[in-house]
Amino acid sequence: MTESTPSTGAPGHHGPGGSGDTHRESEIERLHRLESSSGSDRRRGDTRRHTDAATVAGLDIPTRPDPAAPRTSVAQSGVTGRPTSSGPSRATRKPRRNWGTKSLGLVGLLGFLVIWEVLPRTGIVNPTFLPPASAAIADLFRNFGLTAFWQAVGDTMWQWLLGMLIACISATVLGFLIGSSTFLRRFTNSTIEFMRPVPSVALIPLAVLLFGVEIESALLLIVYASFWQVLIQVLYGVADVDNVAMNTARSYGLGPLARLRYVIFPTALPYLMTGVRLASAVALILAITAQLIIGNPGLGAEIAKAQSGGSYVAMYALILATGLLGVLINLVMRMIERKVLSWHSSVRTEVAK
Amino acid sequence: MSADAPLATPVNLTEAAGGPGTSRSAPTSSPAKKSPGAKRAWGAVKGLFFIAALPVILVLIWYISTAVGEKNFFVPTPALLVETFFETWTGDRITTDVIPSLTRLLFGIAGSIIIGIVGGLLIGSVRWLRALTEPTLEFFRAIPPTVLIPVLMLLIGIGDDMKVAVIISGALWPILLNTIEGVRSMDEVLADTTHTYGITGFNRVRYLILPSAMPQIMAGIRQSLSIALILMVISEMFAASSGLGFTIVQFQRSFAIPEMWSGIVLLGIIGVIMSFIFQLIERNVLRWYHGLREIENAA
Amino acid sequence: MTSDQTSTAGTVISQGGVAETPDGLITVGKTMPDGEAMLSVRNMKKVYHTDGGDIEAVRNLTFDLPQGQLACLVGPSGSGKTTLLKCIAGLLAPSAGEVTLHGKKVTGPPKSMAVVFQEYGRSLFPWMRVRDNVELPLKNAGMDKAKRDELVDNALEAVGLAHVPKSYPWQLSGGMQQRVAIARAVAYQPQVLLMDEPFAAVDAQTRADLEDLVRSVWKKLGVSILFVTHDIDESVYLGERVIILSSSPTVIQEDVLIDLPDERDQLETRSSQRFSELRHHVYEQIQLAKKGFRPEDALAK
Repeated sequence: MTESTPSTGAPGHHGPGGSGDTHRESEIERLHRLESSSGSDRRRGDTRRHTDAATVAGLDIPTRPDPAAPRTSVAQSGVTGRPTSSGPSRATRKPRRNWGTKSLGLVGLLGFLVIWEVLPRTGIVNPTFLPPASAAIADLFRNFGLTAFWQAVGDTMWQWLLGMLIACISATVLGFLIGSSTFLRRFTNSTIEFMRPVPSVALIPLAVLLFGVEIESALLLIVYASFWQVLIQVLYGVADVDNVAMNTARSYGLGPLARLRYVIFPTALPYLMTGVRLASAVALILAITAQLIIGNPGLGAEIAKAQSGGSYVAMYALILATGLLGVLINLVMRMIERKVLSWHSSVRTEVAK
Repeated sequence: MSADAPLATPVNLTEAAGGPGTSRSAPTSSPAKKSPGAKRAWGAVKGLFFIAALPVILVLIWYISTAVGEKNFFVPTPALLVETFFETWTGDRITTDVIPSLTRLLFGIAGSIIIGIVGGLLIGSVRWLRALTEPTLEFFRAIPPTVLIPVLMLLIGIGDDMKVAVIISGALWPILLNTIEGVRSMDEVLADTTHTYGITGFNRVRYLILPSAMPQIMAGIRQSLSIALILMVISEMFAASSGLGFTIVQFQRSFAIPEMWSGIVLLGIIGVIMSFIFQLIERNVLRWYHGLREIENAA
Repeated sequence: MTSDQTSTAGTVISQGGVAETPDGLITVGKTMPDGEAMLSVRNMKKVYHTDGGDIEAVRNLTFDLPQGQLACLVGPSGSGKTTLLKCIAGLLAPSAGEVTLHGKKVTGPPKSMAVVFQEYGRSLFPWMRVRDNVELPLKNAGMDKAKRDELVDNALEAVGLAHVPKSYPWQLSGGMQQRVAIARAVAYQPQVLLMDEPFAAVDAQTRADLEDLVRSVWKKLGVSILFVTHDIDESVYLGERVIILSSSPTVIQEDVLIDLPDERDQLETRSSQRFSELRHHVYEQIQLAKKGFRPEDALAK
């Protein structure tokens, strides 16, 4: 009896007669619905759409499960019938872009470049300190031909990759371990909540002390920061496991490893992917930062050298390069996330059967 | 008229024992034979245990590894650290380093919030503006914020305003982008309703857009806080003559190890306090949101 | 040319007609001389432009709503009931034709009109308590506190929610949430109330109560109501008149006068013979519409 259950009201589908609908009628119905949204770029049927909680790498992460993204209402639950959270939904969202939007975006980008070009050339800003965009971009392209540049990129990526691997693997393992035991969860809860907000850069002096300019000092920072991102997400993922599914698995005699594989892991996977994506951005930032401050080899170190040496054009070119690198990593991680999650959703439906 | 009783009395909105995982598979209750008073006491003891146990163990490990045997160069004993902490940070340093740092931090955060929310509201509401600025913003967001420090140094110098600018340049993005997203994902039935009742202009922002986007905005602010702290520290490590970051780096360079550690601990404490304060504020502002989600989750 | 039939037992009074419109000879609803009607819909058309070509979803809707009438609108799926309502509400612009309220053309949401949507959960502000929700339109209109309080109290009383002003909407059940939405509309004191399938997402027992609530509010306030629904029984039970829409491209298929007694009761009225006849007729018409019946074809004969 639904009398006393609150609900948010069913969206969309009006009334009966569905069985007799011709294709045209359903098409018109769809058009009526689309048209009647007050902003045509909002998808009809969205209640609160998920936010991608990971905008700029938050080097510390949200303090509660799926806190960042408002979830959809129950009425908007996905195919599996369970509300999705911020992580997975991001991968499936398809923005309705058309040429108008894209070209406008391009215009914006060009406009920014034009402003960057004009300001120093007209002397509004001292051209020594802000060389025109053309100079910086030209130098960037020049860099593309230099081995030293690619060496720096390689160093940066190597630190990034190593740090990511260590952090993700250890965080995943620990996350699953801690998450599957209530005792362990409560036991570690206060420590985790306390250590998470500690800024990773506070460890810079320690890193320098211990490792100097070696790669280990960068790794210390990278791993520390990325670890928490992944760990927290995995913990949320494991916590999100459906009790009913777990009990069913147990009653079918599935051992812990089998349960992990068939029940826990599929549920936690979207969260894990979110964590990895967040961590990837964090790892890059920390790698560059470590190079900038500490001086171990990489793009950040090159930027510091350029800055202290007065070659500001080179500095801006390198900054552009890091931006591009960041965009690239972001795109690649999103692609990976999408691929993994689409594979995952097909796997999930199998498990559900 | 049938009895439409409200579903529940106003939901108890105090947080359950925090952290992940406690909501779903809660531990089984203690044996039913205990009296209520004893159960409560036992519950309190258990709570205390869980909060303190691991930290205590870690401190013990720390103590044993440092106090026993020869003096460790890299890591001070707990006792020494505590002593050094109070020595170093109570006294003049508070006014010469701590307060200025925190002030810059606060200004940076405030600036990020204001610019982020106002800009986000604007860009989120005007469709062509969003299309225009989105790729550029995405690019800026992808630049590691620390990398802009040399740039800002060049353009603004190395004064206080540069440090605040550095903080804003990095901490702005989560708030801005989240606000934009929050404005975009506003429920259209609600928007229609507001439209039909003639609620426009400033009232519309105040009663509809801002509250609707608040969950996202809060999420953005949370990320911003940590970024702001990091940038504050980094900007002082890189280019400063005072402040927390600078002082800690000085300690490290002059091998004043316990002092360095005490600085690290202080930064950690600041981070924790900021996080705590934010949680308090968020809980209050988003009370309706948490209640709403609780109901939805229960359904 | 009208097609009134004499009201003998068993026949249903159809008060629409046929008119020469810019779209040809079209069946229309009952219209009144200029200036007499509260709400006037003339030759409303809606065409969608898609990649596959233009789709004429709504061809011509013409009818008038006099002051203080409770009219129901039914039609098969895809007939554009909601689109029509949104055009009348000023939320959507028709491709052709016009809607006038009190003689003034509707270009945006008019001041003396209120809408109750189907999705009650999404039409109430979740960050405000019930009382604040009901109060908001009045606050926005600049009304002073004393007057606001009076109206809000009366409205909450009228819908039976005087005991939950401090709750948040999501703490209430579906039926209660819809009552809040109705209370908000009532407090606003509109002259026209549009209701878009408001009880579709509510369970049957609650629906019955809400239907009676609508009638009682209507009688008390003397407001004109346009009630869109897919529930045929509901439309006959509630309305003084039922406008039946055809399938797409939509025109008004028939405009039926509901001559049930003024005092209606869920038990008595719904089991009366007249109700049966009317309901039967409307159902027949809807079935015809769903099968693709075109009123123009009947006219041609």
